[in-house]
Amino acid sequence: MHIRPFRDLINDRIALSGLSMLALISFMAIFAPALSDYSPYDYTGQIFSPPSANHPLGTDSMGQDIWSRLLYGARTSLFVAFAVAILSSALSLFIGATSALLGGIYERFWMRVVDAMISIPTIIVMILVAAYLRPSIFLLIILMSLFSWPGGARIVRSQVLSLKEKMHVSAARTFGADWKHILINHITPDLAPIIIAMMIQDARRAVFMEAGLAFLGVSDPMMISWGKMMQQALAFTYLNVWEWWLVPTGLALSLTLVGLSFLGFGLEAAMDPRLQKYKQQRAD
Amino acid sequence: MLQIKDLKVAFGQAEVLRGIDLNLDAGDSLSVVGESGAGKTTLGLCIMGLVTGKVSGEVRFKGKDLLKTSEEDLRRMRGREIAMVFQNVEDALDPVQRIQDQIAEAIHIHNNVTATEVELRAKRLLLSVGLNGDKARAYPHQLSGGERQRVLISMALANDPDVLILDEPTASLDALTKADILKLFRSAIAGRISLVITHDLSLAAGLTEQMAVLYAGRVVELGRTDELLSDPRHPYTRGLIRSYPGMTMTKDLQGIPGRMDHGLGGCPFHGRCTQRIEICSIKMPPLRKIKGRLIACHRGGIVPLLEIRHLHKSFDSCFALCDINLTLYEGETTALVGESGSGKSTLSKVIMGLYDQDQGEIILEGQEVSKRDAAFYSRVQMIFQNPKESVSHRMNVLDAVLEPLNVQKKGDREERLVRAKEVLDCVELPFSDDFLERYPHQLSGGEVQRVAIARALALGPKLLIADEPTSALDPSVQAKILKLLMDLQEKMGLAMLFVTHDIALARKVSDRIAVMLKGQIVEMGATNEVLSHPEHSYTRRLVECAKSYQRNSKEINQRPDRDSNPG
Repeated sequence: MHIRPFRDLINDRIALSGLSMLALISFMAIFAPALSDYSPYDYTGQIFSPPSANHPLGTDSMGQDIWSRLLYGARTSLFVAFAVAILSSALSLFIGATSALLGGIYERFWMRVVDAMISIPTIIVMILVAAYLRPSIFLLIILMSLFSWPGGARIVRSQVLSLKEKMHVSAARTFGADWKHILINHITPDLAPIIIAMMIQDARRAVFMEAGLAFLGVSDPMMISWGKMMQQALAFTYLNVWEWWLVPTGLALSLTLVGLSFLGFGLEAAMDPRLQKYKQQRAD
Repeated sequence: MLQIKDLKVAFGQAEVLRGIDLNLDAGDSLSVVGESGAGKTTLGLCIMGLVTGKVSGEVRFKGKDLLKTSEEDLRRMRGREIAMVFQNVEDALDPVQRIQDQIAEAIHIHNNVTATEVELRAKRLLLSVGLNGDKARAYPHQLSGGERQRVLISMALANDPDVLILDEPTASLDALTKADILKLFRSAIAGRISLVITHDLSLAAGLTEQMAVLYAGRVVELGRTDELLSDPRHPYTRGLIRSYPGMTMTKDLQGIPGRMDHGLGGCPFHGRCTQRIEICSIKMPPLRKIKGRLIACHRGGIVPLLEIRHLHKSFDSCFALCDINLTLYEGETTALVGESGSGKSTLSKVIMGLYDQDQGEIILEGQEVSKRDAAFYSRVQMIFQNPKESVSHRMNVLDAVLEPLNVQKKGDREERLVRAKEVLDCVELPFSDDFLERYPHQLSGGEVQRVAIARALALGPKLLIADEPTSALDPSVQAKILKLLMDLQEKMGLAMLFVTHDIALARKVSDRIAVMLKGQIVEMGATNEVLSHPEHSYTRRLVECAKSYQRNSKEINQRPDRDSNPG
């Protein structure tokens, strides 16, 4: 009985629903130009137009097509999520693992840095920094990564510390294995669920934070973002435009976040053979 | 007085004796031991001149070569100068003659005396072996086995021979009769040259000063009987002793792998020897003196695999190991016992290189271990305490068994697969695809430990360090795993360092025992001796605490009685 993470993923109802939500959003993001005839920046000539054949979700206060803004907003969200997940967990992995393996003053230095960073309330600092810098999407990604790696690094370090003392690592060493073999065959596989969980958490937080910053109006004004769309829509709640402006945007954002959460949950179960046992028992 | 030089005997193509050299003076007693078919009886018959095969070499008795002596002269010597007690008590006596007459015949042949004199002497002889007048007039079938044996002895002694050959003299006797006969033998062989042919080591130990171990027509080890039995130096001798159920033996019986083949080139034992090297199958090793013992072995007898000298190890300021000296021999198990925290596991981890040593030398097969490379790990392997943790839970059985082969890059994928299945078979596990794809948590504890053992065996090690290999298992599984380990030892000649706190367990599996206390070895020696006569107070305490469960259960059972009778 091999572990087949992808087959298991498809068999798991929660993971499958998470995956389909993300697939839907990704589909929207990737095929945005094909799905809409209008550029998200262009004035269509009509403001507050209700949904019609031309404009599935109508137009907003600036006469822009809401459907195409929603599609391009998905691109921003997913790109930010993906980039922050990679960057932040790479930082966490590198600093956490090297600290655990090298130890000494190097380890102490980084762990104190982590302590210091964790004690800073990220959101508030981000708002302050963003308010000054008006960051573009790339700067935003870098900023968010810089603020989100410390928690992960601490987890990775403690995991590697305990993993390298595991008996199967000792056993591998008694076969004459070098650190490369041990890192690849023994430590990384055991780290994988944590890294995956970490990445998904980072991604989720990035989506949420990007939307939040945009909502507060402190990110680059030229960026198309669900957060900004919601902020703009909120100004017109007295009209019934919120029905096709605020609700779809909020739904898209929620779908992304919930999709990420579900996927993370499903992946964790699929990657750990010990959890499979319980799953089987539950199925029986 | 009796000299045997390069004695060879062949029956047709089969060489039964392949060059025996022995030298015996008056008063010497030599036991010849070995498995059946080793040529023991043929050797005895050669001296008697009764062998019908093709014989070459010399058997000199009082300067005369018996092999060149005419049958006429031999007949005159047989019985009078060289006598033999034959193997089969049932067949050696004529069933239709009274035993007294049979003995009289033996006297009559060699002595020209009157019939009454002969009868008198026969009666006296029978009396000296404890058979009185009534018995003397009996027929063989009216006597018990022990009595018939006495008759045979008295017959052999009838003419006061110089050389007495006893061929399996007690094979069919019970222990009490054997003890009586043994006493008789002892007085019978005094002052004569005696050759005791037997596979009964306790008989050999009780009767003879010297012992020769015969294997496939060659003497492989020769020395003082007591030394040879307490410290066998040839692998075959050790195998014989291990398969003999002595009362002082604590380790479970182990056999010798394979079976005896006659006419092998090179060392006759090389086919069954676990420490053979190339030369063993090419050249026959001469019997030569090695450290005070005559041994025929190219490797100088059982080799010390691992020697540890003056090993020290401390963690920060805490001493973990202090001046450890230990030698592990090929095919032997040394148990390392002691309470937890005494440094047993630390020692095994230092040997494996999981910890660095502070001082001291570790010598593997004569070479100091400076760095632990692939070559070291392919000779020394370890089994860990908790099997489910020592096998990564992300590896299935196949991955786990392949891991050491992958690490050491042994052969290609196909060869590794073949080897993996081979070792799984060795540890009595199936190697169906279904089983190979299972993960540790889908196996029982015993099965996972077998997988761990298979992993350790995959590289073909000579030394296995077992750190509490069964403490996580229940007793019945433990018994099976231990049996497996002992079988593997028998088959492959594994030396084992068996780390355990269970002294009762150590007693059953080990040849030697080393007792550790606070990082030092306080007592070391043969397991049965250390445990029956512990010298160090700590060992004594360990042994006392490890007494059997019977006493404990009795104490518990007695308690209600005591309570019900106050005052």
